[in-house]
Amino acid sequence: MSLLVAAFGFGLVSMSVIALAAVGFTMQFGITNMINLAYGEVMITSAYLAYYVNQAGVSIWIAMLGGAAFGAVFSFLINRFVYAPFQRKGTALLGMVIVSLAVSLMISNAMLPIVGYFSAAYRERFSRLLHFGSLALTVNQIAIIVLAIGVMLAVHALLRYTRLGKAMRATAANPTLARNCGIPTQRVIDVVWLITGALCGLAGVVAALDSDSFTIANGAGFLITALAAAVLGGAGQPYGAMIGAVVIGLITELSAAVWAPDYKQVVAFGILVAVMLLRPQGLLAKRGALAAAG
Amino acid sequence: MNTYYAANLLIFAGVDIIACLALNLQFGVSGIVNFSFIVFQAAGAYTAAILSMPPDTAPDYTFQIYFGGYQLPFPIPWIGGAVAGGLLALPIGLVVLRRLRADYQAIALLVTSIIANTVINNARPWLNGAAGVALVPQPLQEQLNADTHTYQYLYIGLTAICVAIVWFIAARIVNSPYGRSLRAMRENEVAATALGKNPTALKMTIFIVGGAIAGLSGAILVGFLTVWAPSTWLYPETIILFAAVIVGGRGNNVGAILGALLVPVGFEEVTRLLGGLNIGPPQLIPALEWVCIGLFILGFLWFRPRGVAPEPRHVFPGAPIREDTRWVEGTPAS
Repeated sequence: MSLLVAAFGFGLVSMSVIALAAVGFTMQFGITNMINLAYGEVMITSAYLAYYVNQAGVSIWIAMLGGAAFGAVFSFLINRFVYAPFQRKGTALLGMVIVSLAVSLMISNAMLPIVGYFSAAYRERFSRLLHFGSLALTVNQIAIIVLAIGVMLAVHALLRYTRLGKAMRATAANPTLARNCGIPTQRVIDVVWLITGALCGLAGVVAALDSDSFTIANGAGFLITALAAAVLGGAGQPYGAMIGAVVIGLITELSAAVWAPDYKQVVAFGILVAVMLLRPQGLLAKRGALAAAG
Repeated sequence: MNTYYAANLLIFAGVDIIACLALNLQFGVSGIVNFSFIVFQAAGAYTAAILSMPPDTAPDYTFQIYFGGYQLPFPIPWIGGAVAGGLLALPIGLVVLRRLRADYQAIALLVTSIIANTVINNARPWLNGAAGVALVPQPLQEQLNADTHTYQYLYIGLTAICVAIVWFIAARIVNSPYGRSLRAMRENEVAATALGKNPTALKMTIFIVGGAIAGLSGAILVGFLTVWAPSTWLYPETIILFAAVIVGGRGNNVGAILGALLVPVGFEEVTRLLGGLNIGPPQLIPALEWVCIGLFILGFLWFRPRGVAPEPRHVFPGAPIREDTRWVEGTPAS
């Protein structure tokens, strides 16, 4: 029983990390219509940037902001110089998937000679353990949970209560109509890349902090969990991604406790397959992953 | 350039040509973005390995753990590899290709590829985990000495026969009414459905055919390398093949062969030449090569989406000639 309680604690941390990553991923897809397979690589690159800042003597909680800023600028530039030109050229969705996979491959391999194969770790990776009954969490883990809740509330407030959020939702629903109503969709999309890029960078640093040590190869794993949560919730649905993160975070950690920790991603994948078989549109979306016809 | 090296190069070229022809059938002709292509090659390789190896209790083989070990004579492991690739396509295709939108199919297949590798890497009792299987017997090893030049020529010959068979099958498919249906589905799935074509059935059959050919390519490769491990079939290997088909000319079998010779084989050669120069840290050259593969894909998609050898236009007698007959998916209608 205490094992399950401990696993629940880890689940809380996991779902916080996944939620940060998945919300940014799903918003990119929902609003800019781009399945960005380079997302995991941008995450790990931001984590490395924060690592170098951290090594220079800055606290990781401040370096995290640097990671987020880097993620924002990097994602913005990738869109500006690669994705947007290809989309303007009229490349089909499938072509864009190949383009983003090529970008992902290029980022991870351009990073490799710089950071090497060796694993890196932040200086603050160990922190005091606090006990709440049989639930034990470190100060870092509690900070991650609080951070994730704060960011989720901020995303909610952004989408619900601001003009920018309204413009984003309008652009996601129907870009042409939004443009005809006087919304500067191009600027909205630029801002979306900055915001989701910041989420991506932040998620990368948090995920790296949570996993003690990390290597450049972790990018693919980050992408898979974010994808699984986003697809489970219904692609393009920020609230769906949050629900997906809660489900996947809990189930993967519980399975790690009762089965084997090596198979966390496999369990996430199993959930993904089940969703694709039973409810391809995800929990919240109306159409989502379903084919247009046929 | 000694005989062994030349044989090496020719056999890799043959395997890459077979793989590119299969990927071209799926991606170029039918528009299925099969990001888990390498998994089918791996399935063929593992199957050929366990069909030709003795059980893991045999002397010399006790350092690895795997199931099976049937010691079957030559053509059976290769046939088995092809069958395994085709059989594996069945469940994956049924999950992925039936209801999902095309871009979701692509990411589902990518995730499948990453996860399959993780599972085989971590589950040692099946196929010896991360270390992989080693000492796979070469075809006809009992009858002939595998270290001789004659054996190298024989292996090249066997590979060439397989290339010819696969080429024949691919050419027949592309030029048949079935190939026409596949192209119709690729260009406009809704219209093809409206004309009575069943896109799911079309996709499933080509997925299975492509999977079987991929499995054969894996069987040929493992017979030559005699080792096979998860690190040889990471998902970026699929991207090389995609780069080859895009560079060569998707939808065109000649293009696929050209791409196989230009990208995987060409890069292999460049690595060998640059490897002797000792520039920078050891991982620099291979990493830069991957960056180049990415640039190749982006560059060709941008400047020449139809590739070096574009797919021939299929214009039928009596069809109304319209301005936009030159239009091919991926290029802007000019």
